[in-house]
Amino acid sequence: WFAAVVSSVLSSGINAEYGGEKNGGTRTVPVQKSPRFYPTEDCKTPLKNRRVAKPTKLRGSIVPGSVVILLAGSHRGKRVVVLKQLPSGLLLVTGPYKINGVPLRRVDQTYVIATSTKVELPALPAIGDEIFKRKGKPTKNEKEMFVDNAGDNSYKISAEKVALQKEIDALVVPAVKKVDMLQSYLRSRFTLTKGQFPHEMKF
Amino acid sequence: MLYKRYIEIGRVCFIRLGDDIGKSGVIVDLVDQKHLLVDGPDGIGRKVVRLNQVALTDIKINIPRGCKTKTVRTAMAKEGVEAKLAATSLVKKFAAKNAKAQLGDFARFKNRVAKTASNRKIRSTVRKLKKSS
Repeated sequence: WFAAVVSSVLSSGINAEYGGEKNGGTRTVPVQKSPRFYPTEDCKTPLKNRRVAKPTKLRGSIVPGSVVILLAGSHRGKRVVVLKQLPSGLLLVTGPYKINGVPLRRVDQTYVIATSTKVELPALPAIGDEIFKRKGKPTKNEKEMFVDNAGDNSYKISAEKVALQKEIDALVVPAVKKVDMLQSYLRSRFTLTKGQFPHEMKF
Repeated sequence: MLYKRYIEIGRVCFIRLGDDIGKSGVIVDLVDQKHLLVDGPDGIGRKVVRLNQVALTDIKINIPRGCKTKTVRTAMAKEGVEAKLAATSLVKKFAAKNAKAQLGDFARFKNRVAKTASNRKIRSTVRKLKKSS
Protein backbone atom coordinates (compact mmCIF):
# COMPACT_ATOMS: atom_id res chain seq x y z
CA TRP A 1 0.00 0.00 0.00
CA PHE A 2 2.71 2.39 1.03
CA ALA A 3 4.88 1.47 -1.96
CA ALA A 4 1.96 2.17 -4.30
CA VAL A 5 1.53 5.62 -2.82
CA VAL A 6 5.23 6.31 -3.14
CA SER A 7 5.35 5.29 -6.78
CA SER A 8 2.29 7.36 -7.65
CA VAL A 9 3.84 10.33 -5.98
CA LEU A 10 7.09 9.86 -7.84
CA SER A 11 5.40 9.56 -11.19
CA SER A 12 3.65 12.93 -10.92
CA GLY A 13 5.96 15.85 -11.35
CA ILE A 14 6.59 19.28 -12.75
CA ASN A 15 8.81 20.09 -15.61
CA ALA A 16 11.39 22.46 -14.28
CA GLU A 17 14.00 24.26 -16.28
CA TYR A 18 17.60 24.03 -15.30
CA GLY A 19 20.35 26.28 -16.34
CA GLY A 20 23.79 25.16 -17.32
CA GLU A 21 24.95 23.56 -20.54
CA LYS A 22 25.45 20.05 -19.31
CA ASN A 23 22.42 19.82 -17.06
CA GLY A 24 19.97 18.58 -19.64
CA GLY A 25 17.80 21.70 -19.84
CA THR A 26 14.63 20.34 -18.28
CA ARG A 27 13.80 17.52 -15.98
CA THR A 28 10.76 16.39 -14.09
CA VAL A 29 10.91 17.29 -10.50
CA PRO A 30 8.54 15.51 -8.19
CA VAL A 31 5.87 17.68 -6.61
CA GLN A 32 6.25 15.80 -3.36
CA LYS A 33 9.56 14.32 -2.40
CA SER A 34 9.46 10.66 -1.51
CA PRO A 35 9.91 10.02 2.17
CA ARG A 36 13.39 9.10 3.35
CA PHE A 37 12.05 6.25 5.44
CA TYR A 38 9.06 4.05 5.51
CA PRO A 39 8.47 0.96 7.69
CA THR A 40 8.97 -2.48 6.17
CA GLU A 41 5.62 -3.69 7.38
CA ASP A 42 2.34 -1.90 7.16
CA CYS A 43 0.98 -1.49 10.64
CA LYS A 44 -2.46 -0.23 11.44
CA THR A 45 -2.64 3.12 13.17
CA PRO A 46 -4.98 3.11 16.14
CA LEU A 47 -8.19 5.08 15.73
CA LYS A 48 -8.27 8.51 17.21
CA ASN A 49 -10.00 8.80 20.55
CA ARG A 50 -12.83 11.23 20.00
CA ARG A 51 -14.46 10.64 23.35
CA VAL A 52 -15.93 13.72 24.96
CA ALA A 53 -16.42 13.55 28.71
CA LYS A 54 -20.10 13.80 29.57
CA PRO A 55 -21.20 15.69 32.66
CA THR A 56 -21.71 13.47 35.71
CA LYS A 57 -25.20 12.03 35.73
CA LEU A 58 -27.02 13.26 38.78
CA ARG A 59 -29.15 10.79 40.73
CA GLY A 60 -32.84 11.27 40.06
CA SER A 61 -33.47 11.71 43.76
CA ILE A 62 -31.18 14.74 43.97
CA VAL A 63 -32.65 18.00 42.76
CA PRO A 64 -31.81 21.64 43.57
CA GLY A 65 -33.42 22.14 46.95
CA SER A 66 -33.38 18.56 48.12
CA VAL A 67 -32.21 17.86 51.64
CA VAL A 68 -29.34 15.46 51.73
CA ILE A 69 -27.38 13.65 54.48
CA LEU A 70 -23.60 14.00 54.34
CA LEU A 71 -21.87 10.70 54.93
CA ALA A 72 -18.22 11.64 55.16
CA GLY A 73 -16.00 14.46 56.26
CA SER A 74 -16.13 16.66 59.31
CA HIS A 75 -19.81 17.36 58.65
CA ARG A 76 -20.84 13.72 58.47
CA GLY A 77 -24.38 13.06 59.58
CA LYS A 78 -25.47 16.61 58.95
CA ARG A 79 -28.51 17.33 56.86
CA VAL A 80 -27.86 19.97 54.26
CA VAL A 81 -29.56 21.60 51.30
CA VAL A 82 -28.37 20.95 47.75
CA LEU A 83 -28.17 24.16 45.75
CA LYS A 84 -27.16 22.78 42.38
CA GLN A 85 -24.80 20.54 40.45
CA LEU A 86 -21.61 22.30 39.46
CA PRO A 87 -20.01 21.92 36.03
CA SER A 88 -17.36 19.69 37.62
CA GLY A 89 -20.14 17.23 38.50
CA LEU A 90 -19.99 17.83 42.24
CA LEU A 91 -22.95 18.99 44.25
CA LEU A 92 -22.93 22.50 45.66
CA VAL A 93 -24.28 22.24 49.16
CA THR A 94 -24.89 24.52 52.10
CA GLY A 95 -26.23 23.95 55.64
CA PRO A 96 -27.34 26.76 55.42
CA TYR A 97 -24.35 27.98 57.41
CA LYS A 98 -26.56 29.87 59.84
CA ILE A 99 -28.50 26.74 60.70
CA ASN A 100 -25.96 23.97 61.02
CA GLY A 101 -22.54 25.41 60.28
CA VAL A 102 -22.05 23.79 56.90
CA PRO A 103 -20.70 26.45 54.52
CA LEU A 104 -20.94 26.52 50.74
CA ARG A 105 -19.25 23.26 50.01
CA ARG A 106 -18.71 20.84 47.18
CA VAL A 107 -19.69 17.25 47.76
CA ASP A 108 -19.71 14.18 45.59
CA GLN A 109 -23.13 12.64 45.24
CA THR A 110 -21.77 9.24 46.18
CA TYR A 111 -20.98 10.52 49.68
CA VAL A 112 -24.52 11.57 50.25
CA ILE A 113 -27.90 10.03 51.08
CA ALA A 114 -30.69 11.85 49.33
CA THR A 115 -33.88 12.32 51.34
CA SER A 116 -37.28 12.86 49.86
CA THR A 117 -37.56 16.28 51.52
CA LYS A 118 -37.25 19.23 49.16
CA VAL A 119 -36.93 22.93 49.87
CA GLU A 120 -38.33 25.45 47.42
CA LEU A 121 -35.33 27.59 46.62
CA PRO A 122 -35.57 31.07 45.13
CA ALA A 123 -33.32 32.16 42.28
CA LEU A 124 -29.73 31.99 43.50
CA PRO A 125 -26.67 33.87 42.27
CA ALA A 126 -24.54 31.96 39.82
CA ILE A 127 -21.73 30.03 41.49
CA GLY A 128 -19.09 27.99 39.76
CA ASP A 129 -16.12 25.83 40.69
CA GLU A 130 -13.77 28.83 40.57
CA ILE A 131 -14.45 30.09 44.08
CA PHE A 132 -13.35 26.74 45.49
CA LYS A 133 -9.96 26.83 43.83
CA ARG A 134 -7.24 27.13 46.45
CA LYS A 135 -4.20 29.30 45.89
CA GLY A 136 -1.00 27.31 45.43
CA LYS A 137 1.29 26.73 48.40
CA PRO A 138 4.05 29.36 48.66
CA THR A 139 7.39 27.99 47.47
CA LYS A 140 10.12 27.84 50.09
CA ASN A 141 13.32 29.78 49.66
CA GLU A 142 16.66 28.30 50.57
CA LYS A 143 17.00 30.84 53.32
CA GLU A 144 13.55 30.19 54.77
CA MET A 145 14.17 26.48 55.17
CA PHE A 146 15.81 27.08 58.48
CA VAL A 147 13.33 29.63 59.65
CA ASP A 148 10.28 28.47 61.52
CA ASN A 149 7.57 29.63 59.21
CA ALA A 150 4.70 27.57 60.51
CA GLY A 151 1.17 28.96 60.64
CA ASP A 152 1.30 31.08 57.53
CA ASN A 153 0.33 28.29 55.18
CA SER A 154 -2.98 27.52 56.82
CA TYR A 155 -6.10 28.07 54.77
CA LYS A 156 -8.01 31.26 55.44
CA ILE A 157 -11.52 31.86 54.15
CA SER A 158 -11.62 34.67 51.66
CA ALA A 159 -13.79 37.70 52.31
CA GLU A 160 -15.69 37.14 49.10
CA LYS A 161 -16.64 33.66 50.26
CA VAL A 162 -17.97 35.00 53.53
CA ALA A 163 -19.98 37.61 51.67
CA LEU A 164 -21.31 35.00 49.24
CA GLN A 165 -22.28 32.74 52.15
CA LYS A 166 -24.23 35.58 53.77
CA GLU A 167 -25.97 36.27 50.47
CA ILE A 168 -26.96 32.63 50.00
CA ASP A 169 -28.08 32.27 53.60
CA ALA A 170 -30.30 35.30 53.24
CA LEU A 171 -32.08 33.51 50.39
CA VAL A 172 -32.15 29.93 51.64
CA VAL A 173 -32.90 30.36 55.35
CA PRO A 174 -36.32 31.99 54.80
CA ALA A 175 -37.21 29.19 52.39
CA VAL A 176 -36.30 26.68 55.10
CA LYS A 177 -38.23 28.52 57.80
CA LYS A 178 -41.39 28.32 55.71
CA VAL A 179 -41.62 24.58 56.31
CA ASP A 180 -42.68 23.51 59.78
CA MET A 181 -39.85 21.95 61.83
CA LEU A 182 -37.47 21.90 58.87
CA GLN A 183 -35.00 24.20 60.60
CA SER A 184 -34.69 21.93 63.65
CA TYR A 185 -34.46 18.97 61.27
CA LEU A 186 -31.48 20.54 59.54
CA ARG A 187 -29.91 21.33 62.90
CA SER A 188 -30.06 17.71 63.97
CA ARG A 189 -27.64 15.03 62.86
CA PHE A 190 -28.57 11.73 61.31
CA THR A 191 -27.81 8.73 63.52
CA LEU A 192 -28.56 5.05 63.46
CA THR A 193 -30.14 3.45 66.47
CA LYS A 194 -30.64 -0.19 67.31
CA GLY A 195 -32.71 -2.03 64.75
CA GLN A 196 -32.21 0.58 62.05
CA PHE A 197 -30.56 -0.62 58.88
CA PRO A 198 -29.93 1.90 56.11
CA HIS A 199 -30.64 -0.59 53.34
CA GLU A 200 -34.09 -1.21 54.85
CA MET A 201 -34.92 2.42 55.51
CA LYS A 202 -36.69 4.87 53.30
CA PHE A 203 -35.20 8.32 53.16
CA MET B 1 -60.89 -25.87 74.06
CA LEU B 2 -57.35 -24.67 73.59
CA TYR B 3 -57.70 -23.63 70.00
CA LYS B 4 -60.38 -21.45 68.47
CA ARG B 5 -59.06 -21.12 64.93
CA TYR B 6 -58.57 -24.32 62.98
CA ILE B 7 -56.87 -25.03 59.72
CA GLU B 8 -59.86 -26.04 57.64
CA ILE B 9 -61.28 -25.55 54.19
CA GLY B 10 -62.68 -22.05 54.01
CA ARG B 11 -60.52 -20.57 56.80
CA VAL B 12 -59.25 -17.12 55.83
CA CYS B 13 -55.57 -16.77 56.54
CA PHE B 14 -53.17 -13.88 56.56
CA ILE B 15 -49.76 -14.33 54.93
CA ARG B 16 -47.09 -12.98 57.25
CA LEU B 17 -43.88 -14.19 55.54
CA GLY B 18 -42.57 -14.48 52.02
CA ASP B 19 -43.29 -12.71 48.76
CA ASP B 20 -46.98 -12.19 49.39
CA ILE B 21 -46.55 -10.70 52.84
CA GLY B 22 -49.57 -8.71 53.98
CA LYS B 23 -52.02 -10.44 51.66
CA SER B 24 -54.84 -12.76 52.68
CA GLY B 25 -56.36 -15.86 51.16
CA VAL B 26 -58.78 -18.69 51.78
CA ILE B 27 -57.61 -22.21 52.49
CA VAL B 28 -58.92 -24.27 49.60
CA ASP B 29 -57.10 -27.57 50.17
CA LEU B 30 -54.38 -29.18 52.21
CA VAL B 31 -51.34 -30.44 50.35
CA ASP B 32 -49.51 -32.18 53.18
CA GLN B 33 -48.67 -31.70 56.84
CA LYS B 34 -46.92 -28.45 56.15
CA HIS B 35 -48.48 -26.98 53.03
CA LEU B 36 -51.80 -25.39 52.17
CA LEU B 37 -53.43 -24.49 48.90
CA VAL B 38 -54.57 -20.95 49.29
CA ASP B 39 -56.67 -18.80 46.98
CA GLY B 40 -57.04 -15.10 47.41
CA PRO B 41 -57.75 -11.88 45.58
CA ASP B 42 -55.59 -11.16 42.55
CA GLY B 43 -52.58 -10.39 44.72
CA ILE B 44 -51.86 -14.04 45.52
CA GLY B 45 -54.01 -15.92 43.08
CA ARG B 46 -54.03 -19.63 43.80
CA LYS B 47 -50.87 -21.00 45.27
CA VAL B 48 -49.31 -23.44 47.67
CA VAL B 49 -48.11 -21.85 50.85
CA ARG B 50 -46.22 -23.16 53.87
CA LEU B 51 -47.99 -23.38 57.20
CA ASN B 52 -45.45 -21.23 58.98
CA GLN B 53 -45.92 -18.43 56.43
CA VAL B 54 -49.52 -18.12 57.46
CA ALA B 55 -51.50 -16.74 60.40
CA LEU B 56 -55.11 -17.78 60.84
CA THR B 57 -57.92 -15.27 61.22
CA ASP B 58 -61.38 -15.64 62.81
CA ILE B 59 -63.08 -15.54 59.45
CA LYS B 60 -64.36 -18.72 57.86
CA ILE B 61 -66.41 -19.15 54.71
CA ASN B 62 -68.28 -22.08 53.22
CA ILE B 63 -66.59 -23.56 50.21
CA PRO B 64 -66.19 -27.13 48.99
CA ARG B 65 -62.70 -28.61 49.04
CA GLY B 66 -60.57 -27.78 46.01
CA CYS B 67 -63.18 -25.58 44.40
CA LYS B 68 -62.42 -23.25 41.53
CA THR B 69 -61.13 -19.73 41.98
CA LYS B 70 -64.41 -18.29 40.71
CA THR B 71 -66.32 -20.09 43.45
CA VAL B 72 -63.92 -18.81 46.06
CA ARG B 73 -64.33 -15.26 44.84
CA THR B 74 -68.10 -15.34 44.86
CA ALA B 75 -68.14 -16.89 48.32
CA MET B 76 -65.74 -14.22 49.58
CA ALA B 77 -67.87 -11.47 48.11
CA LYS B 78 -71.03 -12.98 49.60
CA GLU B 79 -69.57 -13.14 53.12
CA GLY B 80 -67.99 -9.73 52.86
CA VAL B 81 -64.56 -11.10 53.71
CA GLU B 82 -62.66 -8.00 52.64
CA ALA B 83 -64.46 -5.75 55.10
CA LYS B 84 -64.07 -8.28 57.93
CA LEU B 85 -60.37 -8.64 57.17
CA ALA B 86 -59.79 -4.90 57.34
CA ALA B 87 -61.18 -5.02 60.89
CA THR B 88 -58.82 -7.77 62.08
CA SER B 89 -55.87 -6.77 64.22
CA LEU B 90 -53.46 -8.75 62.02
CA VAL B 91 -54.23 -6.61 59.00
CA LYS B 92 -54.32 -3.40 61.00
CA LYS B 93 -50.99 -4.06 62.65
CA PHE B 94 -49.37 -4.97 59.35
CA ALA B 95 -50.70 -1.78 57.74
CA ALA B 96 -49.34 0.31 60.62
CA LYS B 97 -45.93 -1.39 60.46
CA ASN B 98 -45.83 -0.92 56.69
CA ALA B 99 -46.77 2.74 56.97
CA LYS B 100 -43.98 3.28 59.49
CA ALA B 101 -41.46 1.65 57.17
CA GLN B 102 -42.49 3.93 54.34
CA LEU B 103 -41.78 7.07 56.34
CA GLY B 104 -39.02 9.32 55.08
CA ASP B 105 -36.19 10.74 57.14
CA PHE B 106 -38.02 14.00 57.87
CA ALA B 107 -41.17 12.18 59.01
CA ARG B 108 -39.10 9.96 61.28
CA PHE B 109 -37.51 13.05 62.79
CA LYS B 110 -40.88 14.67 63.44
CA ASN B 111 -42.20 11.48 65.04
CA ARG B 112 -39.16 11.28 67.29
CA VAL B 113 -39.53 14.88 68.41
CA ALA B 114 -43.26 14.37 69.10
CA LYS B 115 -42.55 11.17 71.05
CA THR B 116 -39.89 12.85 73.16
CA ALA B 117 -42.23 15.73 73.93
CA SER B 118 -45.10 13.44 74.90
CA ASN B 119 -42.83 11.23 77.01
CA ARG B 120 -41.60 14.28 78.83
CA LYS B 121 -45.17 15.35 79.56
CA ILE B 122 -46.11 11.89 80.76
CA ARG B 123 -43.08 11.68 83.04
CA SER B 124 -43.67 15.10 84.56
CA THR B 125 -47.34 14.27 85.20
CA VAL B 126 -46.41 10.99 86.84
CA ARG B 127 -43.84 12.75 88.98
CA LYS B 128 -46.38 15.31 90.07
CA LEU B 129 -48.86 12.58 90.99
CA LYS B 130 -46.20 10.73 92.96
CA LYS B 131 -45.31 13.86 94.85
CA SER B 132 -48.93 14.67 95.69
CA SER B 133 -49.74 11.14 96.89
